Amino acid sequence: MDRNQITKWIKAPAKMANKYSLHAIYFCTGCGIIEVPPVITARWDAERFGVIPVATPRQANLFLITGYVSVKTLRAIIRTYEQMPEPKYTVGFGSTHLWTLIDKDMANGYIRYRENYNSYRRNQELVLGELEWPPLFLVSDESQGNEQ
Amino acid sequence: MSLELLLIIAFGGALLTYLGGKLFGKIRHFLAVAVSLALVVLVACLYGRSMERTYYWGFLGLNLVLRLNMFSWFFAIAISSLGMLSVIFSLSYMKDRERTDFYYLMLLVVNAAMLGIVFSGDLVSLFIFWEIMSWSTFLLISYNRGPALAAAMKYIIMSIVGSMSLLIGMLSLYTRYATLNISEISTSLASADSGYILFILIVFSIAFGIKNAVMPLHTWLPDSYAEAPSPFTAVLSGMLTRMGIYGFVLIMYVIVGAVSTLNCGSGILKFNYILAWLGAITIVIPTFIAMLQNDAKQLLAWHGIGQGGYMILGIAFGTSLGLAGGIFHTLNHAIYIVLLFMSVAAVQYRTSGERDLNSLGGLIKKMPVAFIGGLLGICGLIGVPLTNGFVSKWLIYKTLIVEGYPFLAFAALIGTWGTILSVYKFLHNMFLGQLPEKYRDVEKSPLSMQLPIIVLSLAILVFGILPGIPLKVIDTIGTSFGFESLNITLWGITSESGTLNTINIFSAVLVAAVLFWLLFRFGAKSVPVAQDDSYAAGAYTPADKYHYTVEFYNPLYRMIKPFLRDVIDEFYYWIASSVRSLAGSVRHIYSGDVGYYVMYIILFLALLIFVQTRWKIW
Amino acid sequence: MVTKIIHIIFSPILALVVGIFFLGLARKIMARIHWRYGPPLVQPVIDMIRLFYQKSVSHGRMFDLGIILSLAGSIVVVLFLPFGQICPLAGSGGLLVILYIMLLAPLGLALSGGQGANPNISIGISRKLILSLGYEVPLLLVLLAVMTCYKTISIVEVVNAQDNTGWSITSWPLFLSGLSYFLILPAILGIRPFDVSSAPQEISSGPMAEYGGKYLAIATIEHAFVLFISIALFVNLFLGGAANPAIFFVKMLVVFVLGLCINAVFPRFKIEQAIRYLWKWPTLLAFLGLIMTLVIRS
Repeated sequence: MDRNQITKWIKAPAKMANKYSLHAIYFCTGCGIIEVPPVITARWDAERFGVIPVATPRQANLFLITGYVSVKTLRAIIRTYEQMPEPKYTVGFGSTHLWTLIDKDMANGYIRYRENYNSYRRNQELVLGELEWPPLFLVSDESQGNEQ
Repeated sequence: MSLELLLIIAFGGALLTYLGGKLFGKIRHFLAVAVSLALVVLVACLYGRSMERTYYWGFLGLNLVLRLNMFSWFFAIAISSLGMLSVIFSLSYMKDRERTDFYYLMLLVVNAAMLGIVFSGDLVSLFIFWEIMSWSTFLLISYNRGPALAAAMKYIIMSIVGSMSLLIGMLSLYTRYATLNISEISTSLASADSGYILFILIVFSIAFGIKNAVMPLHTWLPDSYAEAPSPFTAVLSGMLTRMGIYGFVLIMYVIVGAVSTLNCGSGILKFNYILAWLGAITIVIPTFIAMLQNDAKQLLAWHGIGQGGYMILGIAFGTSLGLAGGIFHTLNHAIYIVLLFMSVAAVQYRTSGERDLNSLGGLIKKMPVAFIGGLLGICGLIGVPLTNGFVSKWLIYKTLIVEGYPFLAFAALIGTWGTILSVYKFLHNMFLGQLPEKYRDVEKSPLSMQLPIIVLSLAILVFGILPGIPLKVIDTIGTSFGFESLNITLWGITSESGTLNTINIFSAVLVAAVLFWLLFRFGAKSVPVAQDDSYAAGAYTPADKYHYTVEFYNPLYRMIKPFLRDVIDEFYYWIASSVRSLAGSVRHIYSGDVGYYVMYIILFLALLIFVQTRWKIW
Repeated sequence: MVTKIIHIIFSPILALVVGIFFLGLARKIMARIHWRYGPPLVQPVIDMIRLFYQKSVSHGRMFDLGIILSLAGSIVVVLFLPFGQICPLAGSGGLLVILYIMLLAPLGLALSGGQGANPNISIGISRKLILSLGYEVPLLLVLLAVMTCYKTISIVEVVNAQDNTGWSITSWPLFLSGLSYFLILPAILGIRPFDVSSAPQEISSGPMAEYGGKYLAIATIEHAFVLFISIALFVNLFLGGAANPAIFFVKMLVVFVLGLCINAVFPRFKIEQAIRYLWKWPTLLAFLGLIMTLVIRS
């Protein structure tokens, strides 16, 4: 066994635990928050994977940005993100989040979310800049259907 | 080394401090500390001796006697050491005030008078020193002027009522037995009938009950404690009020004797049973009233009343464990209430007199020593295991449960939970939470304040972990009253119905704490943050608005407040105002009109003539 | 001597394992009642491993030390409670010491959270203390009835006496006390309908608002110990203790599952409603139980 393998073996519990125990806090004023209750209750049961909601950012290691970010609420997002302890993960949640990033010419979503004077379009650099994880997009069927 | 010399040093030293301060200024501090330190050393040298000496012959036909035994020594060492710590604390607290010579004079006179009380061997000396203590306390409570004058007036009136009751008892004993020497009276009273003994017990209990603030005689205490200067409040609540406990034990177990006291009355109307129930009521109601207070000193004052109930409960119960618990609780309560008042005084000193709990907060990082004092003080007050309060409370509970009086035990236990709620509010509103803007520049306490706080905090822990040290002394006191001896070890008490072993608890807690501290270090390192970097739902904490102090237990207040009006205080005020209106209407007899006076004279002459013609008296 | 040392070491470890198992079981059973699958039974262990690897914020010395004090207090209570026939510190003070060390846990949490300087924490602590006052009134009456009935303050003697006379909860005057204790058991455990002190939606989880990382891990361990202690006290005093730890564990399991069923169906009481409930019927029952015990024993 060389040194890398031993390090990997010692860090394995941390990796496993970080994978299977995600305490989530949401940015509740985003419009995608309506998609969260089915995810954490009996419809999709995120608790199977160890994901439960918690009350304050101090207790959380997963930040769900549920919905698109506007300039007014940007400050709250930054402050909440700063109050979370390391190591932390961020997930963009819901289709509206998706639409603010995609630089495509799609009828409703483009105008409503991308061209809006108050939506913040640089989410990706802002929050995810220093993390290596690519953003995950969880989109539910109903919301996708509405937006098309 | 004789007792008269001790008292002469005590009183003379007070006078010397006053004169020295008037002449030279700074020397008063040095003299005050030197006198109180000398008293502590001298009293400590008297340990284990017992003597009885007449120091004045022929006072109104009686000899005045000074007496020393283990019981007196126990109280004397507590009085002198707490007095010395209070004087050291006053060095900083009274630094820039006016009339400090007067303050030191009165503080030392109170100290000396209390020593005189515990050393007196006959009731006349007791009365003389009792009165000296009363009026010097009155002068010192009214030191601050303003609302302190009304509080001091209430105190002195109730204290005088108590002293008059004491005088009635003394007169009755003198007419019966022609002597007021304590040892002679106790031998004579052994053969008295139980009606007379009941009378003596009640009359003396009124006097000592007013001093010790037993319900319903407690109403002078909260205002007096709140308005007196804080180092003196410490002495007041630590030892002066407990002169009432000294008096209770004196009358019940020394003068009347244990056998007569415990057999006085019959069935449910026994004297000590009713006194125990008064003690139980004194525990419960003032502790819950303390929860409603917003003034730090009033909160502690109501706790002082409540803890006095524990002592009365232990002493009145009449078993050896109960007596030991009651007397030990007197010492413990003195230690931690002095500590708590000193911690309040330290905060007052740095925040220019603020004692309103609704506007303080967050001082833990600015005044850490005051916080440690407050923390250990409240742990002692609650009776957390490993503090001295726990041992004395354990003794009282155990005797109540084993003897089969669960309702008294329930009153005592629920008092503890009321205490936890109110002292947590006290500690939280003063030291925890957010720091208000105007106290950003508060500095630490000065050294002469830190020293007594640290000494008393250590005393709480030492007496809690090694309770055998004071319990040996208390055991000697108990056996001298005729109770059976307890099995005291250095770490607790063994008896057939359950033992207390503090060393097990201490080592278990220590090992567990060390283990968990190591486990704690094993986790990932934590980042220290400022006090105002707290969760506020994504916003920054608004300055001065993010602190929960007002009506800390709001739901509970709404439920229990209607039951906790102090009706006894209102009753006394009603008596006072009725007497005032009666006197006001009697005043109208003197109307200033000469015609009325002539009519009075003629009417009275007519009455005399009528009586003479009818009944022929003269 | 050697067995005593082994008992002292193993008793807290067993308590911890049982407590953590109960935490995992709670989440699983609640999920099944909600018609979903729920996390695996070892989820609390995974949570704690992750929490120990997570950094956290600290507000000062008292913030760190308070929570260690509360955990130390809980472990010491475990040493005083008989678990099957394992009771290391039996002869050092009895039920009174247990009652008093049990208050080190909320006190430590209160001190630690106080330095967190957040009104949510302060409100949570004030609610927790009010709730404690609420359930202490009937609890003290119940414990006094037990102590008066068996004329002792030692919990080991109470357990041994029940070997001769049967379970306390089936004997006449103590039946009322046992019923009262069962009615206040959800309040002592802090489960619904009495979880008002750590209401996540109202006061952002109360005293644990500023806890992250290892603090949250220790708070979870603390919660596990409190579960163990409360249920073990009930089993010892009213369900006869047990001859060995396995049967004791089964009894604890039954009581805990009953408590969980109550937790699953009830909403949360307001603190005034909680106090009004606790001071009404359970206190009345406990008071009657105490009076009956006094009448029968005298």
